[in-house]
Amino acid sequence: MGRILALGILGTLACAQVTFAQTGSVTGTITTSVKGRAPVRVTIDEKICGNELPDEAIVVDAQGRLANAVVILTGVKVAVAGETVLLNEKCRFAPRVQLARPNAAVRTTSKDPVLHTTQALHESGRTIFNVALPMPGLNISKPIGAAGTVRLNCNTHPWMRGWVIVTDDAAAISGADGKFTLENIPPGTYEMRVWHESLKGAPQKVTVVAGKPTEINFQLK
Amino acid sequence: MRKIDEPTVSVEPMDFTDCKLTTAEPDADWERAIAKGGPGVGLSPLMPAFEDSLTAEQIAGFVAHMRGFCKEGGWPSGNTNFPRPIVTEKAFPENEFLILPAISHDREWELAGVYEQRFGKRSMVEFEVPVQRAGVDEIAIAFKHAVHASGFNIVSLGLETAFLRDTTVFEPFISAGSMLRDWYLQGQFKIELPADRAKADRAIVYNAYVGHDTSLAPTTWTLGVELNGENHELALTPQVRKGITGTGALAASIGVMLPLNEREEQGVRWVGYLLWEFLEPLRARK
Repeated sequence: MGRILALGILGTLACAQVTFAQTGSVTGTITTSVKGRAPVRVTIDEKICGNELPDEAIVVDAQGRLANAVVILTGVKVAVAGETVLLNEKCRFAPRVQLARPNAAVRTTSKDPVLHTTQALHESGRTIFNVALPMPGLNISKPIGAAGTVRLNCNTHPWMRGWVIVTDDAAAISGADGKFTLENIPPGTYEMRVWHESLKGAPQKVTVVAGKPTEINFQLK
Repeated sequence: MRKIDEPTVSVEPMDFTDCKLTTAEPDADWERAIAKGGPGVGLSPLMPAFEDSLTAEQIAGFVAHMRGFCKEGGWPSGNTNFPRPIVTEKAFPENEFLILPAISHDREWELAGVYEQRFGKRSMVEFEVPVQRAGVDEIAIAFKHAVHASGFNIVSLGLETAFLRDTTVFEPFISAGSMLRDWYLQGQFKIELPADRAKADRAIVYNAYVGHDTSLAPTTWTLGVELNGENHELALTPQVRKGITGTGALAASIGVMLPLNEREEQGVRWVGYLLWEFLEPLRARK
């Protein structure tokens, strides 16, 4: 019995290996020549929020590498779905940009001992939900709705801004070094588009081959 | 360093110290606005929902606190502002326009236009013009004053004066309302006293209503039944009312008046109203 089970596990692993070898990956760096913005002066709840906060509308390092940009491989459906958590921390949405699957329940929570509200707005301006978080540690789950770009506001702190890209396509967010990686992509030629809350970049064609990474870079302005 | 001047909310909150605005609605409506946020009562989504972060007791506590911003005594409690029955005159003073159609089984019809305007803390004046196939042969003006309104109980005294073509009819009345669990109970007793008894008859009018909301939303269906009496004629009027707009400021009601006796004399009548609460407290701002 034990031997059969072991063989079964080995067989499964072997199949998984094969699956891996049949897919490729896309990596790249997102850059811009646009400079970051001046910090924002905090005008309410300074004891919790501090006196100033960085304006994260453009997060760029000295080399022009841009964070919080989202690359999306149009038409490549992926099933993986971790929970999306909208965390209010030190009077900002942390992280500022996130991904979610269409109609997924997203969890809203706060670490700040201050009244936050998390208002999720559809591209049309329609409110998807607006929940109050009057104290830290609460967890409120709400469906995020259909595919699209959802903007997050806080009705008590006007500088707070967050974004949820709702898609069932393969997507990744650039890190502080401007880099992104998309793995387990079936070979083929796709269109890759890039989204950023304040900058724009043209879509590019990308050809994914099995077993090795394809590099593609974006320059936004 | 930059300062973001964008306002946190683009919809100005109402002035909670203005008693005229903050006393007219039941606690349940305010609790719903806090629990469900603005959209729960047909208002702006800028008002967030607190139902996942506060208990019902905490929300009720907030409402009690907010009621305290009105520092003047004497305003009737919004908890006594019950949904209007079709025939029974409600006790709570309102700011409303109404159209009340009535169609009898033999196709005779009447359409009454009513304008109600609050004044002072507890009073209301009402103008009514009924239109019939033959035209207008009556106009009426009424005053009403809430002599008691606390908890879920209200009693009002009123005088309606109907100016007919050949005489005037004075109609003193008493209206009352109460709540028993989730049921609205409303009643009215009126005496019609014509100045010239040769031109119009004296009458005793009595109405009683019991009703029930099917949900807590302003768009709720309210199911009710009235017992309508005039002298010895009795009718039963099952009816349904519905808030049409999200805030419930526009509402409609329809019912059928079924005679319980004197069937030939009374006949079956379809009755109803379309109501517009023009000074809608939840939305009104200075």
